[in-house]
Amino acid sequence: MHHPRSIPLEELQTGQRARISRIAGHPDHVHRLEEFGLRGGTRIEMFRPGNPCILRVGGNKVCLRADELLEVQVLLLPPGE
Amino acid sequence: MVAPDTPTSRVALIGNPNTGKSTLFAALVGVRQHVANYPGVTVEKKTGWMTCDGRRCELIDLPGLYSLAARSRDEMVAVDVLLGRQDGAGPPDAVLAIVDACNLQRNFYLLSQVLEMGLPTVLAVNMSDLAAGRGIVLDIVGLAQRLGVGVVAVQANRGVGVAQLKTALAEAIRQGPLRPPDLWPAAFEQEVTRLEETLAGGGAKPPAAQAALPRCLVRRLLLDTDGYVQRALLPDADGRVARELRAGRQRLAEAGCPVPAVETAVRYDWARSVLEGVLAEPGHYRMTATDRIDRWLTHRLWGTLVFALVMFLVFQAVFVGAQPARWGIDWATGRLAGWITASLPEGALRSLLAEGVVGGVGSVLGFLPQILILFFFIALLEDCGYMARAAYLMDRLMSRVGLSGRSFIPMLSSFACAVPGIMAARVIANERDRLTTIAVIPLLTCAARLQVYALLIAAFIPGTSWLGGLVGLQGLVLAALYALGIATAVAAALVLKRTILRGRTPPFLLELPSYKWPSARTVAHRVAERGWIFLHAAGTLILAVAVVVWAAAYYPHDRRAVAPLLGQQGELQTRLAALGPEDPGRQEGLEELARLQNQIAAVYQRNSFLGQLGRTIEPVVKPLGWDWRIGCCVLASLPAREIVIATLGVVYGAGKDAGGQSAEAAGRLQSWLQAATWEGTDRPVFTLPVALSLLVFYALCMQCAATLAVIRRETNSWRWPIFVFGYMTVLAYVAALVTYQAGAYWTG
Repeated sequence: MHHPRSIPLEELQTGQRARISRIAGHPDHVHRLEEFGLRGGTRIEMFRPGNPCILRVGGNKVCLRADELLEVQVLLLPPGE
Repeated sequence: MVAPDTPTSRVALIGNPNTGKSTLFAALVGVRQHVANYPGVTVEKKTGWMTCDGRRCELIDLPGLYSLAARSRDEMVAVDVLLGRQDGAGPPDAVLAIVDACNLQRNFYLLSQVLEMGLPTVLAVNMSDLAAGRGIVLDIVGLAQRLGVGVVAVQANRGVGVAQLKTALAEAIRQGPLRPPDLWPAAFEQEVTRLEETLAGGGAKPPAAQAALPRCLVRRLLLDTDGYVQRALLPDADGRVARELRAGRQRLAEAGCPVPAVETAVRYDWARSVLEGVLAEPGHYRMTATDRIDRWLTHRLWGTLVFALVMFLVFQAVFVGAQPARWGIDWATGRLAGWITASLPEGALRSLLAEGVVGGVGSVLGFLPQILILFFFIALLEDCGYMARAAYLMDRLMSRVGLSGRSFIPMLSSFACAVPGIMAARVIANERDRLTTIAVIPLLTCAARLQVYALLIAAFIPGTSWLGGLVGLQGLVLAALYALGIATAVAAALVLKRTILRGRTPPFLLELPSYKWPSARTVAHRVAERGWIFLHAAGTLILAVAVVVWAAAYYPHDRRAVAPLLGQQGELQTRLAALGPEDPGRQEGLEELARLQNQIAAVYQRNSFLGQLGRTIEPVVKPLGWDWRIGCCVLASLPAREIVIATLGVVYGAGKDAGGQSAEAAGRLQSWLQAATWEGTDRPVFTLPVALSLLVFYALCMQCAATLAVIRRETNSWRWPIFVFGYMTVLAYVAALVTYQAGAYWTG
């Protein structure tokens, strides 16, 4: 199931880039995140880690607080990419 | 207004939050905007008129949305307007969809839902300048061809593209309905058809009865797993529909279209295919000025410090800045009341006008400065983009109470006044969070409570101090009362979120828009809007309560009870009239006259309905250590808690002007209260436990008609104001009871 390099979003450090690989949780909450633009394949950059965290998505910034029932897995991208 | 031969149309404006929708709205319709609520819900409806190629168009500003999923009241209202289910006005003649050029993929999600409605549509691509600066290149003509609708690049804040937009709208209306894009896989469409047949054949008729549900709503029925759409559209549906929906979703999951995930997959696929080849994005987004500012403003330490400073300034402005205006209003209403008293003969009409109406209008206007100042700052912070950062910073703290960062500013401003605080709670997207915030806000210590605290503390709490005057007992009591309000609000929020307002908390999502200079026009508009809403919605109710309480305190106004006093007054007045202006006995006579007049007022009040009620409820307030007169004052301060100061003055025989601002008057009232005794005894009324129980009561009680009126307006029901009044009154009573009984036990 899990990609070998897949890590939880919380482990992403400031400035690290990643691609969302999987969002797991209540279907309605996952749906909300997707409607908001956070979905599998979305490229993100951690701006402020923590909970809530701030992510850069494209040229924009969004704030997200997920509870323990919502799990966001990301694939770390190499710094140059 | 509109010439009969001019064709008129209705246009709905829709888009994601932070796309510049309100700015575009203002650019299209100008300053003449009409703000109201949609019938039956507390969702703001903003409308205005514009002319598109000689056609008069009413533009309806829909709430900012990410989706037409119809889960929240905002989303449902937007769906209703687009389907013509609001006001029975029919669907709009055209839709103006606005998207942010910097975030097209996500914005196109909503666009695909809008296009599915099949209404004539025009697309406004906003912030094209900002996008170009980031290296985003969009082929507008190519996009228009792909979509089959008019596409116009605009810069709403500068009015660029507005004229072309109006032409495109007129053109779209002329061309008529749109062919909706084909989005859905065959398996899904099959299921939709099947459901349509079930609905047509079964007993569950849509409430509008005449027509079957449009196909896009039948899709929504399948997609919405929460059941909100089903409850809203088919309230009479039997269990059969729900079973059918569950079975349908089951079949879809087996066919590889799991609900609701299939919707995002389908729509984002559509967005990608439409944008492919017409949109070129840079491989890497550089740090922008906004990012550099956010390095500081969202920093845990520096950001929090800046936030604290900003909040201090706002709070100070609301608290202090509103004072001069308040005094001005007090002075003006005082003059007006004086003029009425001087020019009308004594009687019920004079008293009604001078005390009931002018007093009521004064208390309505008294709130206005605070509302205007607070909303000036909120509009300013919102428009420049800082508000989202504030919500981010405070989210960690507020999430411990089960709320989100959005609740912080409404709560903070409630330390000045609950009325604008409750009005500011509209920014909270989550309905349960919003209701919780509104329900606990009145517990926070507002400026009016501070007036009551100041009077009672100065009069009854000993001025003991320690550490060389650094820590005083009076200050400690004041701090304890603030803490009591905060602690009770936190507890109430936790209880509410676990009982009547419990539910799964959706993830907290917030966009941090780019910083920009606030627009004076937008800010001025919002401030004026709020002021008007308050006057319009709450003002009438506050006035009504003021008049009712006036009547209870005035009638039956039996002159027989005061006949001997009136006789004395007449004699004294004759004697005074005979004295020369320089006579040494004059001053004494005037003081005597004032004392007599107060005595008359006190006797009238004692015999009034309010006084009778006060004595009737004495057994209820006696366990709190209060005599009937305190009970009476508390009842009279139902419209506004600070009224208790003036009423205490009248009831305990002090001068009527004791409620005024002068320190001398306040000192006089304090000494009167200290001297007050239980009727027929020399036992003092205001012992320390009584003063404390009264303080605790005022810390927790809901004595404010304005707050109740605003809760009524913001929740659109009487249930919430009644609930808040009930729970706070019970809390206040029990806490005052405990305080007095414990205090009486302690002091023996």
